[in-house]
Amino acid sequence: MTHEHDGSSIDLERRLVQVMAENRLTRRQLLERMGALGIAAALAPIVAACAQAGLTSPSPSSSAAGSGPTSSATAVPSASAAASASPSAAASVAAASPPTPEKDLIVYNWDSYIGENTIAQFEDKYGIKVKYVRFTDAVTQMASLRKDGKGGGYDVSYPASTEIPGLVRDGVIQPLHREWIPNIANLGADWQNPSYDPNNQNSVPNYWWTTGFTWDPAKIPADLTSWDALWDPAYSGKIGMLDDVQECFAAASFKLGLPINSTDDAELDQALALLEQQKPLLRKYTDDDIGDMTSGQLWISHAWSGDWVQMTYDNPAIKYVIPSEGAIRGSDTMVITSGAQHPIAANLWIDFNLDARISAANSNWTGYLGPNAAAMETINPALLADPNLNPSAEMYAKLTELIQLEGANLDKYTQRWNALRA
Amino acid sequence: MADLPLGERTVAAGAATDARPPGGPRRRSRLGGAFFVLPGIVWLGAFFLVPLAAILIVSLGTNDATGHIDLSVLNLRNYVQAIRPEYVPAFANSLRYAALTTVLSILIGYPIAYWISRYGGRRKVLLLILVMLPFWTSYLIRTYAWMIILRDNGVLNSMLQAVGLTSEPIALLNTDFSVVLGMTYGFLPFAILPLYVSIDRLDENLVQAARDLYASGRSAFLHVTLPLTMPGIIAAALLTFIPAIGDYVTPDLLGGAQTTTIAKVVQVIFTSGRDWPYGSALGFLLMVVTLGGTLLALRSLRRETFAA
Repeated sequence: MTHEHDGSSIDLERRLVQVMAENRLTRRQLLERMGALGIAAALAPIVAACAQAGLTSPSPSSSAAGSGPTSSATAVPSASAAASASPSAAASVAAASPPTPEKDLIVYNWDSYIGENTIAQFEDKYGIKVKYVRFTDAVTQMASLRKDGKGGGYDVSYPASTEIPGLVRDGVIQPLHREWIPNIANLGADWQNPSYDPNNQNSVPNYWWTTGFTWDPAKIPADLTSWDALWDPAYSGKIGMLDDVQECFAAASFKLGLPINSTDDAELDQALALLEQQKPLLRKYTDDDIGDMTSGQLWISHAWSGDWVQMTYDNPAIKYVIPSEGAIRGSDTMVITSGAQHPIAANLWIDFNLDARISAANSNWTGYLGPNAAAMETINPALLADPNLNPSAEMYAKLTELIQLEGANLDKYTQRWNALRA
Repeated sequence: MADLPLGERTVAAGAATDARPPGGPRRRSRLGGAFFVLPGIVWLGAFFLVPLAAILIVSLGTNDATGHIDLSVLNLRNYVQAIRPEYVPAFANSLRYAALTTVLSILIGYPIAYWISRYGGRRKVLLLILVMLPFWTSYLIRTYAWMIILRDNGVLNSMLQAVGLTSEPIALLNTDFSVVLGMTYGFLPFAILPLYVSIDRLDENLVQAARDLYASGRSAFLHVTLPLTMPGIIAAALLTFIPAIGDYVTPDLLGGAQTTTIAKVVQVIFTSGRDWPYGSALGFLLMVVTLGGTLLALRSLRRETFAA
């Protein structure tokens, strides 16, 4: 089995990831805390002498309001799979009711990204053993899925929606067997025909989020609603922007009222000029908005809504807003790889996760909302009541998705981004 | 690999003229030498020359619209595009950080190496192990430790505020200061070790002789110790400057919005820009510039050292 190394030979890392998941620690936080322990050991006498020293000590993460984790959704490693059913034979049985599924399924997903009991419930219902392999960043995920051009030995994965056109074109994922996924009807009307994958032929939307900004009201008591705040000289040296070219150009474009995802040179130059104007006010272009906001290094930062939910585990006071000018809406998907050894089980997995109650349980656990209209009744009311996680229809209409840039259009962004950063 | 044919040629010539019996002692030692060099050559070939050749070839290719590398037509277009005025500030930052790091590492490292060599006594080995001790912890974790020390709510600012030296936190992290500090911290052991070797090899009788001829301690150091340990200083400078100019991790983690280095520019081209041929060209060019500059500096240094 090509995927064998993912599960067995890196037991230590898997254990580490489990611990991180249980404590809701990101890899960066883990490194930071190991660093803090090192300093604590080295500086113990000095720090002890200096009672005021506010050393960041490893504090137990409080559980999240709304999701309330009590234990982690741990991986269920399957015994090495025996010879699986021939996928070609299985796929040829295209009936309205799914044929007998394979005995195993290999899912490749983010940490803490599905409900606490989702895996166990799926295994109980279908008698399929799920092997749940985690990744911690999207670059690793894409490299793994593309390493053999057909999914790297995984059956199901969760790529960002912007990746779908490329994955389809390069034959990394396969079309869904929609007749085996009746729950696809549960998707809200907005999600039935997304621009990145017409009619959801090859993917099913999973969660969605926004890119706005967060701030610490202890430092900035104002009630902020506009992108202007990230250009406010009053916060000079305490502002952070995401280290992400498309997100930064989108933020500037919203502020200027320009079209998002523009590839027009004049419009991009206007956005660049605005970002050049902002740069002297910035502390950093951050790739750790969570750590920088919770440590107080930044007072206000461009941020993803999902990261904000995680910031509140450390500092519940931190606020987030979807700016009134509009914001980016991001989403990700569930897909089946073209090389999937267990395609029937994979389609059943997707159908299972589209079930109204399972989908709601996933959202309640992770704090991410999904596109599942039927799930709304069972989702935690606290999540739905938060206008920054579940914006009004008026606000929702102002959200725009990023597109996957390629070729000369991508170069336009990269050149300007490097000119800005250098 | 250059050694092997030479050895064979010598043996062949020897067999023809001297009529020495084949398999004599000379042959065995030559081939034996080549045999022992082989692992090193294989290592260099596999982990230096092959990757370098791969970068060079990729840099001559083109990127199609979907980000795939096309090597069917090789050309120099990426090199023509590589030099852009926008990159000058980032390159200047890299040069500045590397130069400061090198100077600081030698200024701090020389007294340490000198002290270990002259006053270390029986504990020399222990002291050298202490110099290398930080390597036992991952560089990434040590850099995160610096973040915790330097940030606005960090250890250093808390102590400064506690003793009343400042009322507001001083911006230490995400500045030039934190980048140079982190890099100097990281590269200091690479400076200390060659400095120690050259100082330790210095014959103390020479210094003693200078003192006997009424040189002051300062004068003996400037006219005897310093010139004779110059090779160690040059080695330390090379071992610090060359990796420092391409350092990506330290400026990225400890730096801020105003501290972009040329390594970051290359990283952006490779990752979000998805243009490996262009990134390879820029990277290769930087390597050539660094190497050329270093060789030029070495040559002029050597001329000066010998002229003196």
